[in-house]
Order: sequence, then C-alpha cells, then structure tokens
Amino acid sequence: MKTLDLSQNYFELFKQPLSFEIDLALVHENQQNLQAKFHPDRFVNASEQDKRLSVQQASWVNEAHGTMTNPVKRARYMLEISGIDMKDESETTSDIEFLMEQIALREQMEEVPKKQNPLEECDNIIKHLKVRLKTISDDFSNKFESGNLDTAKLVSRKMQFVQRILEQVMDLQFQLEENYS
Amino acid sequence: MALLQISEPGESSAPHQHRLAAGIDLGTTNSLVASVRSGKAETLPDDSGRVLLPSIVYMGNEQRLVGQEAQKFQSDDPLNTLSSIKRLMGRDIEDISQLGNILPYEFISDEIQTVPRIKTATGPISAVEVSAEILKDLTERAEQTLGGTLDGVVITVPAYFDDAQRQATRDAATLAGLNVYRLLNEPTAAAVAYGLDQQHDGVIAVYDLGGGTFDISILRLNKGIFEVLATGGDSALGGDDIDHALGEWILEEAHFEKLDVVLSRRILIAARAAKEALTTRNRTELSINYAGQHWQGCLTIEQFRLIAKPIIKKTLTPCRRVLRDANIDIDHISQVVMVGGSTRVPLVAEMVKSFFKREPMNDLDPDQVVAIGAAIQADVLCGNSSDGKMLLLDVLPLSLGIETMGGLSEKIISRNTPIPVAKAQEFTTFKNGQTSMSIHVIQGERELISDCRSLARFELRGFPPMVAGAARIRVTYQVDADGLMTVSAEELTSGVTADIVVKPSYGLTDTEIGSMLKASMEFAKEDIDSRMLKEQQVEAKRVIEAVDSALASDGDSLLGEAELNNILLHRNNLEQQIELSTSDNLKQLIKAVEVASENYVAKRMNSSVVNALAGKQVDEVNL
Repeated sequence: MKTLDLSQNYFELFKQPLSFEIDLALVHENQQNLQAKFHPDRFVNASEQDKRLSVQQASWVNEAHGTMTNPVKRARYMLEISGIDMKDESETTSDIEFLMEQIALREQMEEVPKKQNPLEECDNIIKHLKVRLKTISDDFSNKFESGNLDTAKLVSRKMQFVQRILEQVMDLQFQLEENYS
Repeated sequence: MALLQISEPGESSAPHQHRLAAGIDLGTTNSLVASVRSGKAETLPDDSGRVLLPSIVYMGNEQRLVGQEAQKFQSDDPLNTLSSIKRLMGRDIEDISQLGNILPYEFISDEIQTVPRIKTATGPISAVEVSAEILKDLTERAEQTLGGTLDGVVITVPAYFDDAQRQATRDAATLAGLNVYRLLNEPTAAAVAYGLDQQHDGVIAVYDLGGGTFDISILRLNKGIFEVLATGGDSALGGDDIDHALGEWILEEAHFEKLDVVLSRRILIAARAAKEALTTRNRTELSINYAGQHWQGCLTIEQFRLIAKPIIKKTLTPCRRVLRDANIDIDHISQVVMVGGSTRVPLVAEMVKSFFKREPMNDLDPDQVVAIGAAIQADVLCGNSSDGKMLLLDVLPLSLGIETMGGLSEKIISRNTPIPVAKAQEFTTFKNGQTSMSIHVIQGERELISDCRSLARFELRGFPPMVAGAARIRVTYQVDADGLMTVSAEELTSGVTADIVVKPSYGLTDTEIGSMLKASMEFAKEDIDSRMLKEQQVEAKRVIEAVDSALASDGDSLLGEAELNNILLHRNNLEQQIELSTSDNLKQLIKAVEVASENYVAKRMNSSVVNALAGKQVDEVNL
C-alpha cells in the first residue's frame, strides 16, 4: 500500500502555504481525496498489517484536518512548527483588560441557569464569543505574518481562553437541555 | 490465490470472482438481510416470502426458535420468548434496572464483570447470544438464497450506540461465525440506500426512530462521499416507549385486578396493535381477555396523540443538538429522510416536518431502507461494486474521556470527531518509585463519571521506578472505523510498552466467547467439519475457474508445454477430488495448483503491469 509521508506538516499535507488564512474549501477537498485513498474501508480485504496501517494513516489525516479547520488549534500548531515552545501552559496573559473581560464572561455564564430562558442566553453568549474569537484570530494572523512570533504566542493564548469558555458554555447548554427535556 | 487478483485495469472483476456479501439490519423489533444481486440491492425474503424476521427468540421446551416461530409463543409464554433484546446489548444489570419494567425477564449476573443473562426454561442466555441466534437465522437465509457461503457482512447499529453496545454487536457476529466487514451506522446506511448522492450535493438530515433506539444524523453529500457532520440520539428511546405509554393508559382504563407477566405482555401486544391501527384510522377498538378478566375499549386518535406526544417530543432535543454540533442552520438542510418503523406514526412525521420546516422524505420502506444501505456498502467493501467512488466518513457519537481526581471526567476525544481517530496523552508519576498507574476510560458527555458509561479500567504496570515526575507515560487511544476503541501505553524514557485492548467492563471476555462458540457448535446440527469442507469445495471450484479463465486468455502465449501440462495435471487432480475428498486434503490439492502456477502468475502479473502502465500517469498506478 502507498504510505503517507508523515514527516510533512499539516500545511504541506493539505497543500497550503504556512499562513493563518487558509482555503478551507481546498483543505476539505484534499481531506476527502486523502480519505478516499487511506480510509480503512479501502482495505477490508487487505492483510492485517495494511489494515492497521490504514487505520493509523486515516487517523493521522483526520487529526491533521481537525487541527487545520479549528482556528485555535491551527494557531497553536503554526507556532509549534515554527519552533516556538507551546508546552508551558502556566504562562498567562498579563493583559488586564482581557482578564477583566474573561471574569465578566464567567460571571455571565454562572448567571445563565437563573435566566428566564437559559438556552437562549447560552446562544447569545456563544454568538458573542464566536465574534470575539474572530477578532482575536485576525490579530494573531497579523502578528504571525509580521514575524512577531512571541507576541503571536500571547495572542494564541487569548484564543485558547476564549475557546475554552466557549466549550464550557456549549457543555452547559447541553446539560441544561438534558435537564429540561 | 494470486491468480484471482489479476483483472484488467479499469474493469470490474469477472463474474466468477464475485464474493458473496450481505447487509444485516439487526433491529429491536425486526431484523432483515439484504444483498446486491445483478446490480440491485434488495432485501431477501424467507421461504414464505417474508422479508422481516421478528427479532424474537423462543427458549422454552428444550428448543430455540427464531422469528415468526418464536413470536407465536409471545402471548402465552412471555418469560421464555425473548424480544426487544437489542435494548440490552452492552448493558449491565444496573442499566437494565434503569430501563424499568419495560422487559419482563429475570436476570442472572453471578459476578461483577460478566454479562447479565436472562433466565429461561432452556437455560440462561445473554443478549449477545440471543442476537447471534437472529444473525445465524439471517445468514442461513442469505446463504440459501445466494447459493454459497457469505464472505462477509455489514451489520448496522444505531449511530448513537456507545463502545460497549458496538462491541456486543461485534461479539454476537463472532458468535454467529460471521466475518464483519464493518459496523455501519443506521442513518448513514439509510442515506446510502436513498442514493441521494446521485441526485444532488448538499446537507441532509436522517431521522431514524426504531423500536428501541433513536438516531439523528446530519450528513454532507459530495460526489459519492457521505460525510457525517454530527450525530445524536437516544439509545433507549423508540416505538416501544409509545407502546408502554399506551399500556399504562389501558391499565388505568381497565382496572385489572391481578396483573401478571402474561397479562402485561398481552396489554403490550394490544397497545402495539392499536398504535399500528391508528396510523391509518381515527379510532380503534381494543379488547383483552385473560384468565377470566375481560376488557374492551376504544382509543381515538386524539387520545393517542396526547399519549405519544411527550415521547416523540423527546426526539427533538437531540435534533437541535446535532444541528448545533454540525454548525448548520435548519434552513440549510436540503432533505429530511425518515427511517425506522416508528416513523409510520403520522404524529412523528408531523412533528418532524414542523421542526425542520420541510416535508420529510419517506419514499422507501422505512423498515427496509437500512438493510438495503448496508447491502450496498457490503458490496462496495468486498470489492464487487464497480462504483469504487462511494465512501462513508463517520464520526464518534459520544465523547471518550478518562476519570480524573474527584470523580470528574476529562475529555480525550470529543463527540462528532471523524473516525478513525487517535489521540495520545502523556502522564507522569506522582510518587517516587511508582511503577504502575491505573486508568479508567469512560464515554459520555457529562461531567461526573457516575453519569457516564464506564468502558474499561486497566492498570499500566512494569515501568521502571524513577523519582516522582520523571517517568513519561504516553497513552494512545485509537478509535477504528467501527467506532471501537483500543488503548496502548508506553513509558517513553525506558520504552516499556503495554497494550490494552479495551473491552467494556461488562463485555464478554475472549474465553467467554470461546466457550459460547463451543456451546453453540454443540447445539448446531451441522458440525464444523462439514462447513469447512463446503468452504474448501467452493474455494477449489473458484481456483479451477480462475486457472481455466487465465489459461484461456493467455496460457498459450505465456507458457511452455511442460509448464502448461504441469498446471493442468494439478488442476485436473483437484477437480476429480472435489466431491470425494476431506477438507484438509482439498486444501493440499489447492496448494499444489497454486505452487504449480506460481511462475505463471508472475508472468501474468508482469504482462498486466506492462499493459496497465501503457499510457497512464504515474499517479494513477502508484496505489
């Protein structure tokens, strides 16, 4: 079986230049072409080794696709392959304004169950957070393009913050819905 | 054998190379088998022309009966007539008790970690074994109809089935002696059956309400690729629940003095009949007679709607959720496909229509559509289909995670992540000299471990003692295309590895499957030798045909006389022995033909590669 070159990075895999702004439609098309070659369904009658290989390669392609299509993961990955150490999670932002905003958002989230229509309130917060994420992502893109990687790293941390709270609101909405039905 | 693999590029396999494959819908209420014949996927009927096999096994009077034969005993011997067993797949005693009194059976679970078994007159039996009986019946039907042994099958499962339920389904297939190409999600199968990819590209919703399970999937179709964007549902919600609600209503109306299992079963049978009658009428009469207790009543469509509505409404929450998970607006859904017998209830269609703001599609028989889709997929997977473009990309239905401090869950792979998928996680030791660590894998969306499904607890042992924090243990979680997980672990500084296959905590161990296989073989009238002989005979015929057709096409040009004669000698020898020999002997003779033709195969391969390469791009050949 043909094997994938696992040493290439995800941008190379999906034939994209190393930039935050990517052609999502093209990434998607490449993803489907790759899965058409490596998906385990193509190796149902193959040897056990080829079957395993196919599961691993298709998994890798899916992981790559998941990273490319998620702005927060993509930003982090871009810094990683540019040689920035992203392991140290303890580093936090010193941007006071941003911290205040985060605190306010958390308070708003805690208030949700007390609201008259908590599910709708979740929708509103989610909508707001998506807009925020887009703004910060644009900032990241600019910093990265101008080669200012250390600043880009700080901005990517902000993206992670917003993403995390976004996921928490979505989880909250999921649980609220379960309790209501 | 190698000769079989040669076919002209761009051409489908010759007819004699056709593999027998089938799709099986193992349903809560009914099961079906379908296959692609002469290019058309169709469900296969039994001798009496019936396509649906009731998913019922009778275990009384020292006999096992399946389907309609078993159904006859339902109202008189309910405790030995096992139905709706799919609801028990991959479930432990505790889960079953949460199902309430939906099933009347008495369960035995001797030790923790073993599957619950139902007590019957013919001995205890697990849900996996019951399902295997149903699978065997369908396999026999398919093999008789298709005239040979099945090479493999695609078995459908509700998209919302978790790892334990999927593993149980696979175990049932192993027990039935089947080669499973793939477990396919039911809504995805339905989308395939509708062939919507042929008509247009776009985003569709598949609403699948069966007897005991509910699935909703959002798929994007693009040039033969079915990409599941999100899936959701409730693996314990279905038409059965409507029957039970109607049953409660009958109990209130009838004021029976003494309720036992037989009466309860009869009430449910009457409830289901009323539900079915009300799909086409506005009122229906009910009557129950049992042990001197009589009741006659009338149910109107208005009353029915009041009773059924809360249950159907429960399906809308997962619908809202998948739309959000898929990040799709309702307005962007171009089709809503209805699947499952319960979508025959007009109120279901009505509520789905008002939710999705469009008329749902139900052109295909909602009972058969899943099996048909599975048959199409089986045909593609076994290599028969000339349409090699079709590809199904599915997702993990429920998040996988591990237990962290304080009984909380930490997600490792989120729901709706495309599969196959692998995630690795690094841990370290927190005590000096620590050489082992335990991991508890769970599945579900809730924060508390106790609200999620426990899939496996295992211990990683044997890594070298180091100071706290020095060891680096990488744990890799791999989910395959069936949605089943395996876990492997490695200590990175020493390279010590540990492989753990995750079996659900209450799933079957391999020894359990082994002993069940043995028991079922003793039970079966046909012994294993005769089955193996049959397989070798089929194989021998296949080899002879392959040799003949190869020789006819290029034997003269590629072979010298001596070599040709040698091949013919072994070929003829094999042909003479087909009906006379034992399976072991036939195996030897087949091998002899293969050895004699080895050189010929190589020559054919070369000439076919040369032909194939002529006028092609490197890219196209390079697979």
